[in-house]
Amino acid sequence: MKKPPSEEPEERLTVTPPKKWAAGVPAVTHALEYSLEETSLPRAGAALLTMNQVDGIDCPGCAWADPSPGHRHRNEYCENGAKHITDEATSRRITADFFRRHPVSELGRRSDLWLNKQGRLTEPMVKRPHSDHYEPISWHDALELLSGELRSLDSPDEAVFYTSGRVSNEAAFLLQLFARAFGTNNLPDCSNMCHESSGFALHETLGTGKGTVSLEDIHHADLIFLVGQNPGSNHPRQLSALEQAKLNGARIIAVNPLPEAGLLRFRNPQNVRGVVGNGVAIADRFLQIRIGGDLALFQGLNRLLLEAEDARPGTVLDHDFIRSGTSGFEAFSQHARTIAWEDILSATGLSRNEIEAVGDEVLRSRRIIVCWAMGVTQQKHAVPTVREIVNFLLLRGNIGRAGAGACPVRGHSNVQGDRTMGIWERMPDSFLDALQREFGFEPPRAHGLDSVSSIRAMLEGRIKVFLGVAGNFVRAAPDSAVTEEAMRQCRLTAHVSTKLNRSHTVCGRTALILPTLGRTEVDIQCGGQQFVTVENSMSEVHTSRGRLKPASKLLLSEVAILCRLARRTLDGKTDIPWERFEADYGTIRERISHVVPGLHDFSRRVARPGGIRLPNPVNEGVFATSVGKALFTRNAWEMPHAPEGHLLLQTLRSHDQWNTVPYTDDDRYRGIRGSRRVVLVDPTDLVELGLAEGQHVDLVSVWDDDAERRAEDFEVVPYPTARGCAAAYYPETNVLVPLDSVADISNQPTSKGIVVRLEPNGTGPDPTMSNSGR
Amino acid sequence: MNTVEETLEIEVPVRTAYNQWTQFKSFPRFMSTVKSVEHLRPTLTRWVVGRGPVRREFTAEIVEQQPDSRVVWQSLGRRSCHRGEVTFRPTAPDRTAVTVRIEVERRAVSDFVMGVSGFTRRVIRSELARFKEFIEGLGEEGGAWRGTICNGHVQPVEPQPPRSRVPRWPVG
Repeated sequence: MKKPPSEEPEERLTVTPPKKWAAGVPAVTHALEYSLEETSLPRAGAALLTMNQVDGIDCPGCAWADPSPGHRHRNEYCENGAKHITDEATSRRITADFFRRHPVSELGRRSDLWLNKQGRLTEPMVKRPHSDHYEPISWHDALELLSGELRSLDSPDEAVFYTSGRVSNEAAFLLQLFARAFGTNNLPDCSNMCHESSGFALHETLGTGKGTVSLEDIHHADLIFLVGQNPGSNHPRQLSALEQAKLNGARIIAVNPLPEAGLLRFRNPQNVRGVVGNGVAIADRFLQIRIGGDLALFQGLNRLLLEAEDARPGTVLDHDFIRSGTSGFEAFSQHARTIAWEDILSATGLSRNEIEAVGDEVLRSRRIIVCWAMGVTQQKHAVPTVREIVNFLLLRGNIGRAGAGACPVRGHSNVQGDRTMGIWERMPDSFLDALQREFGFEPPRAHGLDSVSSIRAMLEGRIKVFLGVAGNFVRAAPDSAVTEEAMRQCRLTAHVSTKLNRSHTVCGRTALILPTLGRTEVDIQCGGQQFVTVENSMSEVHTSRGRLKPASKLLLSEVAILCRLARRTLDGKTDIPWERFEADYGTIRERISHVVPGLHDFSRRVARPGGIRLPNPVNEGVFATSVGKALFTRNAWEMPHAPEGHLLLQTLRSHDQWNTVPYTDDDRYRGIRGSRRVVLVDPTDLVELGLAEGQHVDLVSVWDDDAERRAEDFEVVPYPTARGCAAAYYPETNVLVPLDSVADISNQPTSKGIVVRLEPNGTGPDPTMSNSGR
Repeated sequence: MNTVEETLEIEVPVRTAYNQWTQFKSFPRFMSTVKSVEHLRPTLTRWVVGRGPVRREFTAEIVEQQPDSRVVWQSLGRRSCHRGEVTFRPTAPDRTAVTVRIEVERRAVSDFVMGVSGFTRRVIRSELARFKEFIEGLGEEGGAWRGTICNGHVQPVEPQPPRSRVPRWPVG
């Protein structure tokens, strides 16, 4: 194990051509290298070899489903999962002495990478008003302080309770129970910033908030669309499923502004083909689409399908399904025929031939799946885009049939489960009624605040207390300067965390760090050793059992922290058995089974190998929409427009990054090393903008409030992205996303399609860097 | 395409025969070549079949299903590629003619279960006989799924079947 860095790493940017394939042996070596930098071989091995196994640790990374029991590899994880789990299992520790040496103001100037590298938090800490240091505090005093602040509020709605997708089902259920028993629905979560748009669109059109496919469907699809996603870095185990699909004869169409390595070819390090061969080509067609053009693409495809049906009546559309299972087809088809091709081509940046070739592939395919991620959901018209994808699937009956369906690919291990458990600011009355029946209190009915609304309320002084359970709210949220100002308005901010991050340094007048067990660690309570449960992207609810010795004896589990906080805060106002919940998580699951539909007999069923597959109503022939059928919709769009001299920016992750946490400054697949402050621009655009490779620029976003949002000192890198588009890493560029720039309907921040200009900041191109590695 | 068809008359009402047949997970109880079945959802099943030490796994889509009439399935993937249909025809109030028809792609000729039509015919005949022995012996079915499947889409018999009662609120 290496020691934590005392200073920020100082490396020079080097750029090499982007890779044309993902994974392979380098993925294994990089994963091992990173793991051994963080911890010992036995500890890394103990974590990795039980990862994603039945009865093992669920990877805290992405939410991709595990193969069925009996079909899992001995090493059932990816490079990024290995980094993620050993990042948590690190042997580095942060003690009280660390905080004595580093004032909060100094920590606030540190990079995300440096903060994360310091290791695991080991004891509760408090930053008092007017102090610039965190200092130790006992658990008793910390929870008294927090509950005292909560009790002193004029209204429960002056508090918000944020959840990140790492939180287990049990802790999530308790958090929403506590918040509602306390009296508020202010339950923002990281879903607000990732797939909120998918949830709204799918719920409206299909009557379900979740994806409709399983791994078996992926394996047996004829045609798979990968839209606005980068599986090679963000969901690498998806590549194994895509490889399987390809071996079964599937065709794949990738739709993305950047030709990501994982979209092009996969060398599976678990088989000979991937280690010594060339692996498997993933995308048969790559559509390099302009940012924000996905809706227009699917409208173009839908128009082609309608015209093909006109030409060969009865052979293209699934009329039986459209007639019996859907509503709104006539209005949709009339509208679809009015979309002008010139608008479609201008919005997508694609040629008509390219779109027609895809249309031909669609006509040849009986089973079609569309997968999508943030590239779709973080656009202004994200909800209409997902609706249009649903239109596309409905036309040929590709919903509710084997090998076909909608697949929103979620990026955080239990983000879906947390919603299932009721973490949402506007839960339906049916859920609140069930809570009332089960626990005997009247939950608040008024809708609460989501992430964007919470920031606004904090800014306006309407929120006094912020509690974040896991995550790094300050860095995940948009408009960084505004979000930071909002957090500083709070009287108290508290974070239940495993590691240090910027949310601990940008805090309220009083701040608490409540260190918690990681998912990798053994969780022993008075009722014995516990396990928790999570739900993956494909609605499989299963167990996760920690295996490692906890980072500190003073850590409490998330469940224990919430139970102790609730007991103190509610002070006997309800008869919820918080002590029993803390002692035995099985008692929480028992109550969940009474409240959450579909989880009856939860503890027994989830303990079976593979856990519980929550059925999707769509696959049972049920569309719980307003009219009881799947809905065709008419979707209008406004083309994102960058005025002359401007580009459309998308924020993205690097390969060595998981959500807001960069593990290094490298991005291997894109050929970027040594710096994250880069902006990727098409070479022709660079010429037109009068910029040169290696030039240093400030990124300045344009929004109608005329406020200046500036991300300073980025180095220009020519990159084969779509024309008129640029890409840069988040969270560094979150500062450019205006708080008011949200997706219509879902209120999700629009981290794709931000209008920016690149202002040279006086530093000329560095001749020693340019072309050095090309 | 090799096509094999076998019919056997069973001395139970058509509803009983059909209902039992919809309980795919029970097949290993009376069929010698079916080792396990997962009924993942109404239209999706995963089968492990074999003889002796040899095992073959495949996934099958239920393409059509009409209560008391027929079940049509299609294997998915390149291996064990076949399409099957079982029909139920009442010959008397308490007698049912059950016909199994399987079409096997020629390239799957090496598949040990389905590959040779003579062998396939013998397997189907003996498995049908086991089904007859099983359901006649019990006299009544152990369960039933009465929904309809058309072109791979489920049409449930009730508006809110139990398996559809799950969280439906938006998931972000």
